[in-house]
Amino acid sequence: MNAFDYRAPRTLDEALASLQEYGDDARVIAGGTALVTMMRQRLVQPRCVVSLRDVEGLGRIEARNGAVRLGALVTHREAETSPLLQERLPVLAETFRRVGTIRIRNMATVGGALAHADPNQDPPVTLIALDASVEIQRAGGRRELPIAAFFRDYYEPALEPGELVTAVTVPLLPPASGASFIKFLPRTADDYATVAVAVTVTLEPDGKRCREARIALGSVATTPLRGRAAEALLAGARLDESLVKSVGEAAKGEVDPLDDHRGSAAYKREMSAVMVGRALTQAWARARGAAREAE
Amino acid sequence: MAHRIVGQPIGRLDGAEKVSGAALYSADVTLPGLVWGKALRSPLPHARILRLDTSRARALPGVLAVLTARDLPDILVGRRMFDMPLLARDRVRFIGERVAVVAALDPDLAEEALALIEVEYEDLPAVFDPIEALEPGAPLVHENPGAYEGAPPERPHANVQSVLRFKLGDVEAGFREADHIFEHTFRTQLAHHGYLEPHAGVVAIDEDDRVQVWASNKMPFRLKELLSHALALPPARIRVNLTPIGGDFGGKGSLMDLPLAYHLARVTRRPVKMVMSYTEELMAGNPRHPSVITLRTGVTNDGGLVARHVTALFNSGAYAAFKPAPSVNLGGSSMGAGVYRIPHLLIEGFCVYTNNIPCGHARSPGEPQMVFAEESHMDMIAKALSLDPAEFRRRNLLRDGDVLPNGHHLEHVRAKETLEAALKASEWSKPKPPWIGRGVAMTHRHIGVGFTNAHVRLETKGTVTLTIGLPDTGTGAHMVLRQVVAEVLGLSIEEVQIELATTDTFETDSGVGGSRVTHTGGRAAYHAAEKLKEQIQAEAAKLGTPDASFATIAQAAAREGRTLEASHFYDAKAHGAVTSFTAQVAEVAVDPTTGQVTVRRFTTAHDVGTIINPIGHQGQIEGGLIQGLGFALMEELKTDEGRISTLSLGDFKLPTIRDIPPLTTVILEDPVGPGPFRAKAIGEGSISAVAPAIANAVADACGIRILDLPITAEKVYFALKAREQRS
Amino acid sequence: MIRLTVNGQSHDVEVPTYRTLLDCLRYDLGLTGSKEGCSVGVCGACTVLLDGKMISSCIALAVFADGREVTTVEGLAEDERLHPVQQAFMDAGGFQCGICTPGQVVAAKALLDAIPNPSDTEIREWMLGNLCRCTGYYKIVESIRAAAQPSRA
Repeated sequence: MNAFDYRAPRTLDEALASLQEYGDDARVIAGGTALVTMMRQRLVQPRCVVSLRDVEGLGRIEARNGAVRLGALVTHREAETSPLLQERLPVLAETFRRVGTIRIRNMATVGGALAHADPNQDPPVTLIALDASVEIQRAGGRRELPIAAFFRDYYEPALEPGELVTAVTVPLLPPASGASFIKFLPRTADDYATVAVAVTVTLEPDGKRCREARIALGSVATTPLRGRAAEALLAGARLDESLVKSVGEAAKGEVDPLDDHRGSAAYKREMSAVMVGRALTQAWARARGAAREAE
Repeated sequence: MAHRIVGQPIGRLDGAEKVSGAALYSADVTLPGLVWGKALRSPLPHARILRLDTSRARALPGVLAVLTARDLPDILVGRRMFDMPLLARDRVRFIGERVAVVAALDPDLAEEALALIEVEYEDLPAVFDPIEALEPGAPLVHENPGAYEGAPPERPHANVQSVLRFKLGDVEAGFREADHIFEHTFRTQLAHHGYLEPHAGVVAIDEDDRVQVWASNKMPFRLKELLSHALALPPARIRVNLTPIGGDFGGKGSLMDLPLAYHLARVTRRPVKMVMSYTEELMAGNPRHPSVITLRTGVTNDGGLVARHVTALFNSGAYAAFKPAPSVNLGGSSMGAGVYRIPHLLIEGFCVYTNNIPCGHARSPGEPQMVFAEESHMDMIAKALSLDPAEFRRRNLLRDGDVLPNGHHLEHVRAKETLEAALKASEWSKPKPPWIGRGVAMTHRHIGVGFTNAHVRLETKGTVTLTIGLPDTGTGAHMVLRQVVAEVLGLSIEEVQIELATTDTFETDSGVGGSRVTHTGGRAAYHAAEKLKEQIQAEAAKLGTPDASFATIAQAAAREGRTLEASHFYDAKAHGAVTSFTAQVAEVAVDPTTGQVTVRRFTTAHDVGTIINPIGHQGQIEGGLIQGLGFALMEELKTDEGRISTLSLGDFKLPTIRDIPPLTTVILEDPVGPGPFRAKAIGEGSISAVAPAIANAVADACGIRILDLPITAEKVYFALKAREQRS
Repeated sequence: MIRLTVNGQSHDVEVPTYRTLLDCLRYDLGLTGSKEGCSVGVCGACTVLLDGKMISSCIALAVFADGREVTTVEGLAEDERLHPVQQAFMDAGGFQCGICTPGQVVAAKALLDAIPNPSDTEIREWMLGNLCRCTGYYKIVESIRAAAQPSRA
């Protein structure tokens, strides 16, 4: 790695001030699993590294107004094992559990993962299906951005210089809802996904027709994406095998994968359809179960 | 026959250092004033070096030396064929070839210095495919390889490193006798050994001007010889100090960076440590040769093998330097005949130069490649003849008295018994649901030969010290040797200790590898212990106390200024008449909607000699088997136009603890080996048949025949789809 | 200058910012038990505990551990007595070449601290990130099982 200045601010304001001071020459480090790896490979060579390790107030998981708010410094492992998250948004806890290995999850943070904007990551997929929003702060201001707008391109988040992700807010699902996250990794148990899919389904109170569905896919484009055309087929529909198939095919039409070490573009396209079908079937079954319970 | 210590499942008593982290591997060695070396590597597969400017690197504070080929003598290195420069002189031949080397105060500074070296290259035409490399007019990787020291004489094309042939009978006549002839071509991939300890070494020139070396190298005496040649120093000036090695699997027998570490040590007058990064390993670490193998087999109507012609092309990369066999080729090609009696046989293995990463030896060199092809081919023939694959094999298995392609006559052949054991334990004939399949594959592996020196000494406290020059590569060999000595002398295992030699202690040793250590190390230790036993008995007789304890005897001798000790040099000159058969059955499930292959269970049956340590023995079976699984399903150094894109373990995947299938092992123990107490070998027996067992199981499960490794979900998926579209 | 508590002992170390925690342990503190394997946090040879949690020290900055507690393989034994996990690995053949073993035993100790009697599934899930190339893993599972419940082995 190159030599660099190291700053360890104690407050968010200090951190934001450092970022403003160094501009493009600074990189933020939270858990460091992505940044240190890139620095060791000399892919990035920042003049200053601003550590958020000691910044107060960014590590909470809390319920708030029908949503769960995850502070940016919450680690993947904390999210995965959080009783609150397991109870209110089990699909999200499960998604964090699928990332890498426990060592990575002990260090990698929610905010850090989002800011890294690697399209092969898992949590963004579920966060998109859950319609989360990202809280961003800079010196003298804050804004919220729907997560679907957060990923601009390959490793390019919608963060301006001097900005930090400070939290992710994830709305709870309405009654009669079910969700599913599938990470398809056929090669070995520790890998990025060939295709990752998250589906949420909310049924009408009678548990038969779909009121709303959201489909998100990862590892199939330069950013994770929403399968809106596929979702549209579900509005007001009753689920049957042929609909599952059509939804999968529609999703296949929306992805734009590249060949990588986990599969060719052609294979990823095929598996998008298959995994959307599987996740949809599972989410729908869970929604039916939730609808029955609510009766 | 039951022994007292041999055959006992004794744990790794030598393990306290390893489980506590106290063991010092080469990268852990430190000396006062130590500095770090790092190599700059070529980004191009074939290019002329037009300009090389190291001035900015030299000027970086903390950098003590920067060397290029101009600073070094013009010596070529290798293990048998000497065709590789220490640093590229005016031409690079593969991406990853070393171009310059620096010494700095810490590894980060060394890397910083590398980034400051300016190199200007001019592209040269390159060749990457072994078939293209053999065409007339193909770009030449070396203009005149026949001129290199150690180059085998036969060279049908300048891009051929070596040719190795095995011949029985008259293959053309054999084909005329056949009722059917089948021909299939298979491909296997580039794969690194996957040891978790990258190559590491420390070189220091001491006050007596001797070169002290600590290196992750499993044949230290050969290393000393090769260093003597590479550094143009008399062997007596060099001392290799043995360190434990973090996994070898055939990959740690070459000089790697050590000569460069020496030159940096010479110029800086400091000890130099060089440790390859894992990226450097994946880019330049002498991996397993990729292959293109065509088998053409003639059979009679009732499934008798009469003739076989095998052509194997091994994509050997830019240098032959990493291959240690005198043939500069891969002996595993002889497995083209499988475990079968084939009266007319011709196997031709070509090691081909290309502008790719130079390859070397890997566990069972050439065999996982050849056995994948050969055992898949057998199943395809069985299918065409409507024969059960097990039955087809049964009809053709080797028997006592048969001759192998390499001329060895076989005795104590238990091919049939081993096959039957695997079939029984795997429930071969049990009905299966759709999309579940079973596949069988067999192989055999020789007991290696070589030479080892062993020395035993009786201590005054009554224990025995065994001095041996075989480094610890992890196999548990040192425990085996201790058990052998303890058995001969009637001692407990704790009463026998190992003292590791240096290359000053003994004249020579062929080192670890080739499935030889239990045999050669074991026999050397055995005979040395026998000699010591005689001496002890003679001393006891002299004292008039035949039941005297070893301590008493040793002390009595010590009072006369004598130590009871004995040496033995064991040189196994020729392969014996026995081999070891392996039969494996894979049971897989194929997911038709994704093509994903899951190994539901795996059975491995082994025809072995006397087992000296059952825990270590089983550990070798399991370790080799999972390496075979990785080779079959996931390991692949992806390369395109000479550029490897899988440059970390994040991309080059090795099996994890969640990838292992439920395993049943069947052992057929027969005390007929050449090793001590009639032991055979086990280190390389379980790897080669795994891939074809899985490929055959996949074909059984879903009718899809995968002809190239690794077997990925994607390949199976698209094959299923293509078949669907055809119907 | 950073202050690390390693295996219960406090150290003040002067390190450049670019020093990884692994290099700091190995070269600044002479604790060479933790190993560098893949350098990207995948293989687990560099596993240490940071405030009791498993991390990859090869992709952690030394400064990140300032003021915190690190446990390495050298800290598992108590008064010359091996930790049960270490003894179990020796008895059952849970290691061969030993290069991954420090990481394996540190991870296994953390597992047994968190889950004293893990199922085979829990063992495999926890140990997923500790690669071994020699053993094929079967005897690693056996070793951990034996360490958890000596009577279960």
